[in-house]
Amino acid sequence: MEDKGFIENGFIIDLSNAKNASEIIYELSSILDMPEAKNKKICLKLGSIDLSQSQLLSIKSLINSMASDLAFIDTASEQTEGSALNLGIIISELSNEIVVPEIEPDYFELIDGEIQEKAHEEVKEFDQEPKDGLSFELTEPPVAEEIKETGKELVTEDLPIEAEEKIEDQLEISKLPTLYLQQTLRSGQTISYDGNIVVIGDVHAGSELIAKGDITIWGVLAGIAHAGARGNDLARIRALKINAIQLRISGFYARRPDSLNIPFIQRTNEFTPEEARVENKEIAVYKTYEV
Amino acid sequence: MSGRVIVITSGKGGVGKTTTSANIGTALAKTGQKVILIDTDIGLRNLDLLLGLENRIVYTIVDVVEERCKLKQALVKDKKNPNLCLLAAAQTRDKSAVNQDQLKAICEELKEDNDFILIDCPAGIEQGFQNAIAGATEAIIVTTPEMSAVRDADRIIGLLEAREEIESYKLLLNRVRPNLIQSNDMMSVDDVVDILSCELIGIIPEDTGVITSTNKGEPIVNDENSLAGKAYSNVARRIVGDEVEFLDLSEPKGFFATFVDNIKKFFAALAGKE
Repeated sequence: MEDKGFIENGFIIDLSNAKNASEIIYELSSILDMPEAKNKKICLKLGSIDLSQSQLLSIKSLINSMASDLAFIDTASEQTEGSALNLGIIISELSNEIVVPEIEPDYFELIDGEIQEKAHEEVKEFDQEPKDGLSFELTEPPVAEEIKETGKELVTEDLPIEAEEKIEDQLEISKLPTLYLQQTLRSGQTISYDGNIVVIGDVHAGSELIAKGDITIWGVLAGIAHAGARGNDLARIRALKINAIQLRISGFYARRPDSLNIPFIQRTNEFTPEEARVENKEIAVYKTYEV
Repeated sequence: MSGRVIVITSGKGGVGKTTTSANIGTALAKTGQKVILIDTDIGLRNLDLLLGLENRIVYTIVDVVEERCKLKQALVKDKKNPNLCLLAAAQTRDKSAVNQDQLKAICEELKEDNDFILIDCPAGIEQGFQNAIAGATEAIIVTTPEMSAVRDADRIIGLLEAREEIESYKLLLNRVRPNLIQSNDMMSVDDVVDILSCELIGIIPEDTGVITSTNKGEPIVNDENSLAGKAYSNVARRIVGDEVEFLDLSEPKGFFATFVDNIKKFFAALAGKE
């Protein structure tokens, strides 16, 4: 079973240095005595200690008696694995690594190539087909009726597999915790959060927002926003005005088209609520709001 | 009496922190306030040059911190105004020679007998900056109307906001060229204040007189004909609490220019009516 790296209310106890079951039980009881360890889902790291079924059962009962739950164990020992399977205890691997989506080398090379090309090409570059994931365009919003129809399609029974995955991704976003900030972010300030981010205020150029889910800004976005940073292509970035230097959604990176080089980046006379999302492997910015 | 400790900072180098410190200090001293100027740019000291006190320095802030002299011995009185004293930086050391606690202690000691302690902060956000803001309770952020300076000022304001001891910070816009603003080649005052969301304490126009005053070692506030000098004097008055209107910086137009302007307006009005 794969660990998505995120368990609500979890508490990791590392006992891989213990020599035998009684040491484990001794350590465990003192740790579980702490108020922080109550009512948590315990994840036990057991290293390569061998535990018989009855020993593992007593450990589980100990945890239950201290008002917590044994969520899963991480073990390198075959015997312990066997005992766990017999008792119905989940075995999982704990990893603290952030799952960074593999960014295809293409994008990076292209980005470098772009910058070099820029020095020699004329401005009319923007009449060409935008390259994958590298430019975002202000597209005309789809006619209102079309939006509704698409909405209906997603809910029908005979869905192609891709659409199913899409719905799961979207549900995942709404289940994530949200960080709510009532302040303006200044240059140099970075916020990264394993969930959605809402900022009531501006995001100045030079600041960065990195979120696992959506990013919503009630103000002007002039910095860098990275939504779906752990690989969710459906994450979106919204702001009352998007003047961002770069928009990043999942593995897609895009920069502001040079033709829109607004002097003095942040000054804006009117708000035009916009939303950026990935469409056809590119980041597109829409001037309407679509559920 | 407890003095006010104000740090003059910017982030970006070369925007006019030292010039501002020297001039505000001189202007305050002229009105009778007792002012101490502290140069914390150790290794690259300039404040003594601007005040023309370079050859009078015997002891520096590093000597005070390393206890080779008393604090009073290191204070150099200004040439013209005995109310103004300078605590110079060392040219032969670098910013690691002093730490935050030492600077704070110096500020505490000086606060007791003086009205204003102005700290001239070096460029950057590292040790030099951290030292300079250590003892301060107020800040003046100097910036010019250029994207790079404004971006750095934004960073600095973020860092100052995060520091509880700094109770207030104000913006000083330096080297403003009204004619460039009019032709939309330079950010306007409103643009900068809008981006930085910071209260304005002064607008200083670009003035070539500043260059000569630096070379002579006489702050430009002493020049009565200079617009920049007047602007700096106004800043000093605002610091003390007086409400002073911002100067009208636009250059007075000659007769011909006004004539042409009127003709343009006439035709524009005609076009409008059609």
